Amino acid sequence: MKQKNTGWYLLFTAPLIIIFALVVLVPFVMGFYYSFFRWDGISANPMTFIGLSNYTALMGDEDFYTSAWLTIKFTIMAVVAVNVLGLGLALLVTSKLKTVNYARAMFFMPNLIGGLILGYIWQFIFSDAFRVLGENFGFESIFRNWLLDSSLAMYALVIVFTWQMAGYMMVIYIAGIQGIPGDTIEAAKIDGANSWQRLKSVIMPLLMPSFTICLFLTLSFSFKIYDVNLSLTDGGPVGSTELFALHIYNEIFGYSNYGYGQAKAVVFFLLIGAVTLTQVYITKKREVEM
Amino acid sequence: MKASKSLWGSLLLVPFLLTACGEDDSGENGLDEEAESAGERITIFQDKVEISDQLEELAAEYTEETGVEVEVWGTTGSDYFQQLQVRLNSNQGPSIFSIQQYTELERIHSYAYDMSDEDYVQYIAQDMELEYEGNIYGVPYGLEGFGLVYNKDLVDPSEVTDYESFVQTLQRFEDEDINGISLADNSFFMIGHLSNYPFSLQDDNYEFVQQLNNGEISLTDYEEFQELGLFMEAIRDYAPNPMEVSYDRQIGDFATGQTAMIHQGNWAAPMFDDYELDFEIGMMPFPLSGNDKLAVGVASSWVINNDKSDEEIQAANDFLEWMFTSERGHEYIVEEFEFVPALTNIEADNLDPLSQEVLDAANAEQTLPWSHIYYPANSVRNNLLPPTEEFFLDDSITPEEYIENLDEAWDVAAEEDE
Repeated sequence: MKQKNTGWYLLFTAPLIIIFALVVLVPFVMGFYYSFFRWDGISANPMTFIGLSNYTALMGDEDFYTSAWLTIKFTIMAVVAVNVLGLGLALLVTSKLKTVNYARAMFFMPNLIGGLILGYIWQFIFSDAFRVLGENFGFESIFRNWLLDSSLAMYALVIVFTWQMAGYMMVIYIAGIQGIPGDTIEAAKIDGANSWQRLKSVIMPLLMPSFTICLFLTLSFSFKIYDVNLSLTDGGPVGSTELFALHIYNEIFGYSNYGYGQAKAVVFFLLIGAVTLTQVYITKKREVEM
Repeated sequence: MKASKSLWGSLLLVPFLLTACGEDDSGENGLDEEAESAGERITIFQDKVEISDQLEELAAEYTEETGVEVEVWGTTGSDYFQQLQVRLNSNQGPSIFSIQQYTELERIHSYAYDMSDEDYVQYIAQDMELEYEGNIYGVPYGLEGFGLVYNKDLVDPSEVTDYESFVQTLQRFEDEDINGISLADNSFFMIGHLSNYPFSLQDDNYEFVQQLNNGEISLTDYEEFQELGLFMEAIRDYAPNPMEVSYDRQIGDFATGQTAMIHQGNWAAPMFDDYELDFEIGMMPFPLSGNDKLAVGVASSWVINNDKSDEEIQAANDFLEWMFTSERGHEYIVEEFEFVPALTNIEADNLDPLSQEVLDAANAEQTLPWSHIYYPANSVRNNLLPPTEEFFLDDSITPEEYIENLDEAWDVAAEEDE
């Protein structure tokens, strides 16, 4: 009986497994393989096996460290901003506001717009719209072209990413909040807990599963950010926002160092893997059973 | 037991079904491929978005006349070379493609067909063929030239002939509350084209780039580069920050008389069709170190894929031959594509004013060669742009420091490209 079911399961997952293998596993293994070669990406040109040289060259690559550090900085800011805002919005729209349904739709909407387009829209806001605001209303220390300032451009990127992702995380948090039984909260109320205490000691612990998912998603999304990065700043000004995915793309297609870029991608993969798995391990441990 | 047997049977079917679908596809492709290797069908992949529609019309006419099917693949322009590379790699390359830079040809020359013995190469204007190790691999699309595009009501070219007069002119415009000059925020418009002048003014610009790549010389030792720094400083002082000026805004401000000069090429001429200009425009040399010539070169060349069957290569040759020698082909090149012809057997009249100046300069042999086609691949965007952005953002960087930064950036580019 059991054997029979396994067969059926295999049958129905076969198409997915085949597609997954073709578009994820095979390219992944090939990428790993290419990282041991010096190659410019043109099949007619020679591919020279150079062992681990690409990886040793990484050690002394200053651009690599700069880009890694920028990515880490971005990720920290983005994860905090997205989750704080996402949770805040979720609490807001599960309260007794009259317009909750509209509010939910509104907050989720940015997530439906593709990252490239979002980047171009915000590029207009940060450069032209801000300049006009500054010229007309003063406050020119804030209202100027953010994308031309090496330090502000990073914040601009965080703002756009937060705007895009907070609604998505909000939906996950809403599901978590609605999964908390009403009687638990009511019991806390009767015991005299005020709303801050209820949030801190009842809702938060019971929301841990949602935190696990949301932190995992935001961590991996912000590490891998590419589309918004490309369209909003394109790594500029003066390379101050060239995050890792863009950096690897430029290494491979800009400088045509195929093997070297692949080596960077492998290191990048290991880094994301390590960080996200650690995070999942830590937050899983803090999840409580009802 | 029975059930599980049929189940495993159906499981086994899955791969068959998949391969069956696969065969269907390859069957279709197979037909195309057969037609291709028999020379009855060719494919073209090129990088100029501006001419895609017109090229398709040309292809349709050619098919009608000869029966050979011609398929034109669409392009987005900006990542053309990457796409070409991917297609060639997966053996799905086109029969005819285009190449922009000499350094691109160096990389994929094994895919380029040696057309030195073909009939049509005799019509290529002098020194405009795409050559590699003495053989001809490409026929130019057309000539393109750049310099200072100026408003004839505001600027007299005889007054802008060197650094001093250039700055005086900018000073005068500032007093009159007009932008003297503007650049646009694209790596080529900001530094790529401008950086040509000091290179092209050397005796042998190709050799100069090679020496620079090998680290034998430094940009800072050359007077022309120091002067480029001064010119950039003048632009920083008198022009709006180029990073805030889009191509559209640059053209718009010029067309409405708010800017007197822009550094652009004849490719910008069609953009003026959207405006009713109430003044005449012209193109004059950028007066670096007293330069009095326009920089004229070939933006793209037609190349035939060597990795195809002899019949398909022959068919591609026939197509090019037809385009370069027939009357209809000539009409398309001049009137539909709006190219400044780089072929001696084409008469060009009715050119727009900027293209006309380019053609006049070419005919009078008063041109500077292009040097950026020899730069390390992608170095304008990846290496030369960042120090330039920095220079325009930070007023405390002196012209000497800027040229030093460019020199350092070049070393990195040459190293990455080796």
